[in-house]
Amino acid sequence: MAIAERTAGTVSPPSVSVRPGWAGWLSTTDHKRIGIMYLVSAFVFFLIGGIEALLMRIQLGTPNNTFLTPDVYNQMFTMHGTTMIFLGLMPLNVGLGNYMVPLMIGARDMAFPRLNALSIWLFIFGGLMLYVSFFVGGAPNVGWFAYAPLTQKQFAPTAGVDYWIVGIGLTGVASIAGALNFIVTILNMRAPGMTLNRMPLFVWMQLIVAFILIFAFPVLTVATIQLLFDRHFGTRFFLPNLGGDAVLWQHLFWFFGHPEVYILILPTMGIISEVLPTFSRKPIFGYAFVAYSGVAIGFLGFLVWAHHMFAVGLGPLANAFFGAASFLIAVPTGVKIFNWLATMWQGSLHLTTSMLYAIGFIGMFIIGGISGITLASPPINVQQTDSYYVVAHMHYVLFGGAIQGIFAGIFYWFPKMTGRMLDERLGKWQFWLMLISFNLTFFPMHLSGNAGMPRRIYTYEAEMGWNLWNLISTIGSLLLAVAFLIFLWNVLTSIRRGPIAPADPWDGATLEWAVSSPPPVYNFAVTPRVRSRRPLWDEKYPHLHEVNGSHEAPVVRRGPLHDGFERETPEAMEPIHLPSPTYAPLIVSVGIMILGFGIIYLGDFGLIAASAMLVGLLIMAAGILSWVRISHVDSPHHAH
Amino acid sequence: MNSLPRSFLRWSRFLLLIGLSVGLAACGNNPGNTYDPYGDNARRIYELLIPIWWMALGVFVVVEGLLIYAIWRFRRRPGSATIPAQVHGNTQVEILWTIAPAIIVLVIAVLTFRTQAANAVMPEDALRIKAIGHQWWFEFQYPDTGADGKPIVTASDMYIPVGRPVTVVLESQDVIHNFWVPKLAGKTYMIPGKTNFLSFTAEQPGIYRAVCAEFCGEAHALMRFRVIAVDEAEFNRWIEQKKTPPPAPAGTLVVNGLTGDAARGQAIFLDARKQCVACHAVEGTNARGQIGPNLTYYGSRQTIAAGILPYTPENLDRWLREAPKLKPGNLMSRVLTPQWIKQNLSDQEIADLVAYLDSMKVSVTLPPER
Repeated sequence: MAIAERTAGTVSPPSVSVRPGWAGWLSTTDHKRIGIMYLVSAFVFFLIGGIEALLMRIQLGTPNNTFLTPDVYNQMFTMHGTTMIFLGLMPLNVGLGNYMVPLMIGARDMAFPRLNALSIWLFIFGGLMLYVSFFVGGAPNVGWFAYAPLTQKQFAPTAGVDYWIVGIGLTGVASIAGALNFIVTILNMRAPGMTLNRMPLFVWMQLIVAFILIFAFPVLTVATIQLLFDRHFGTRFFLPNLGGDAVLWQHLFWFFGHPEVYILILPTMGIISEVLPTFSRKPIFGYAFVAYSGVAIGFLGFLVWAHHMFAVGLGPLANAFFGAASFLIAVPTGVKIFNWLATMWQGSLHLTTSMLYAIGFIGMFIIGGISGITLASPPINVQQTDSYYVVAHMHYVLFGGAIQGIFAGIFYWFPKMTGRMLDERLGKWQFWLMLISFNLTFFPMHLSGNAGMPRRIYTYEAEMGWNLWNLISTIGSLLLAVAFLIFLWNVLTSIRRGPIAPADPWDGATLEWAVSSPPPVYNFAVTPRVRSRRPLWDEKYPHLHEVNGSHEAPVVRRGPLHDGFERETPEAMEPIHLPSPTYAPLIVSVGIMILGFGIIYLGDFGLIAASAMLVGLLIMAAGILSWVRISHVDSPHHAH
Repeated sequence: MNSLPRSFLRWSRFLLLIGLSVGLAACGNNPGNTYDPYGDNARRIYELLIPIWWMALGVFVVVEGLLIYAIWRFRRRPGSATIPAQVHGNTQVEILWTIAPAIIVLVIAVLTFRTQAANAVMPEDALRIKAIGHQWWFEFQYPDTGADGKPIVTASDMYIPVGRPVTVVLESQDVIHNFWVPKLAGKTYMIPGKTNFLSFTAEQPGIYRAVCAEFCGEAHALMRFRVIAVDEAEFNRWIEQKKTPPPAPAGTLVVNGLTGDAARGQAIFLDARKQCVACHAVEGTNARGQIGPNLTYYGSRQTIAAGILPYTPENLDRWLREAPKLKPGNLMSRVLTPQWIKQNLSDQEIADLVAYLDSMKVSVTLPPER
């Protein structure tokens, strides 16, 4: 393992007031702390979603099982899907992005630090609201896709669907605000010399995802608000017998829902595109192809939504169009995989846990991509859709792909974020156990699905020929849980007793490795200058580019923090201007949450709910006032 | 990094390959197996899947093989500080592997569209059957076949002729359901406010398992039906019998030690205070309820409560007593709770009802289970 000769952060910190303890976290506007809050809260939700999955797997382990009642089972799969997508994968990606993007582009924070804080609080409160439903009449039980008209009040009378609408709504606002923040940050705050085509690929993918998000998410938000009005206020958008259209919901939902898949997977493709070059000691092969294939995937992602609807009866012509568009996605996806392989080709592969997860991503994502081909073909799709085959396909993409990618990122950046190394031995145990048990869990689902097992059934008959596949899946899922416990143990012990992480433990090439681990609150004492895609390697290996062949003799390596990156004379520093800590975003979020509770009960308990909404609005107003005041204090004319 | 994990990686990939082959080999006679088609629609899908499967296997072996080879060949030797050649890319190679997947998906797309066109055909001479989804059972109407312009109405068993195209007209009464007979045809949604069509021909006689494949509420998992494909002559015989209402009930049946009387059972069934006729209909009687399944010739059903129990008088007796347990959320047991049944129906009355429902039978030679 390469060790950086010197660590950064030797300059004396500028005057930044960080409140100690809990208050520091509640009032923070630091992108790094917000990133950690995203990661921790998303991981907690992720574990809860995993427990829901385990309960379902136990129920399905044997035929005619009675471990869960059908209604509880239906709540479990609804909450599992909703949790993993909105409260698990998405915010894990946002958390890594929040922490890393400003560091990787040489910025001191996000463009809108207070908006960033609002995003994390709205996300946390949205997630909590969703889970409150368990204690007030039952969680939503209509599937994460919430097909109309099953979501109407006559079929789903509990408030579960309302909590789903408002909870998803809050996280949606958080996501849209976050996406705008990423776009403005990435487009405006890159260090001098970092053109778009010199940005790290993780930043590229976060940028693409942010654009996908601001086009896709509002569609979901509008659809769920229409649903809310259908349920409580007498509209009939999705009520077929009153002039509405049940299929309209599916169009709106999947116009969001398919791009959502790329919102989940593209950032992890970005992680892979950072990890593979670092541990292959080579640049990414075909930077432009990797970056622009991401753009192509993001664009095509908006043209394929109806491949979720081939059995709906849209007609052969529509199905053929959406089938063809879906096939097209195989092209940019294939390009990425070949470029990753070429990056490893003739490299010097350092098989760290992070690298293993990146390789695992490729290996499993290939399977998920191949199984997607048959789903893109309308005739085959109508046999496989709504069967366990889809469950298998989707988990190979989102677990074998996205989750493994996120683990690659966590093992890669944990030292940067905490200043401690994760235990590599435990990490490798976790990787192998996870790879094997993941395949045990999800591979048999291809087979049970093609043997006719529909999705979302809480029980099945013994004579259907699915018993063995389900038993293997259940055993695999229990082993998967062990792999996650190993990770949890690894994090909890390493964060206290792990070896101290140097600034640049992996011999990285991007700017985050130029600063200390963890970075100072202001990130960079002096804004770095960038001359290529690998600014840190330019500094460390100034003679590298002159040689074309393999360097048999060790290349002379200089300290990573040479001139352009950090000047070590504090006198030379310009004053560093950072936003003040503030509770305003938290207060606004609390107000919005109370408003949300009021909206849920407005149709049933008008007066009480209306008063709650008023209280929420007042709290929100107070928060906004405090927000305006603090932003005035922080404005460049006022400060210093 | 020692060599153990690498061999593990190879081993697990090998296991996957074995798994794939086992998967294809395991085309046993599972009742829902899509690799075991008995209808033209499902067969064309299966025949499209086979070449795609081989292409997929080829891609899988090549790409995973390259990945594993790269890991093995280019792993860092301990103590090595070598910096490899810094290759940034190769436009020609990259264009090549952009075109390669494009060609593969083009081939797949052409194959796909051919199959799609064939499966979208709705023959003029097809037998039309209307299938209506309810929470949580399937209703079937034969519009062109009933007496005096009225369709034959039945539930849970869909009789079709072998060798003649069938076009199923799909509708829904409440929420979205999904009509799936894996061995005969792909899925098609049943959507309230919309009419869908699905055409297929059963190639061999058989009793085929079928399910609702779209989540439709609490008892979605218990919403099943059977497609019973019989020779055209047998099918016509079935139609002729179904056209005439069941004869006046007579005879007795011993259920759980009690002797049920069919005629008495009919009187109980038609008694408005016993609530049966509020939802159920039997042709030729005053029972004209529209909410629940039509119970004409109930004694010939293959299953009880939409495919969840094999039809036997004992199971019917059990269903009348334990419906909420057997099928949580079903409408009948929400209205007629177990307490209501206890107060309003004696054991003898239940036995009579069972005897009545069992007495209505059509004669049909059943094909084998597939």
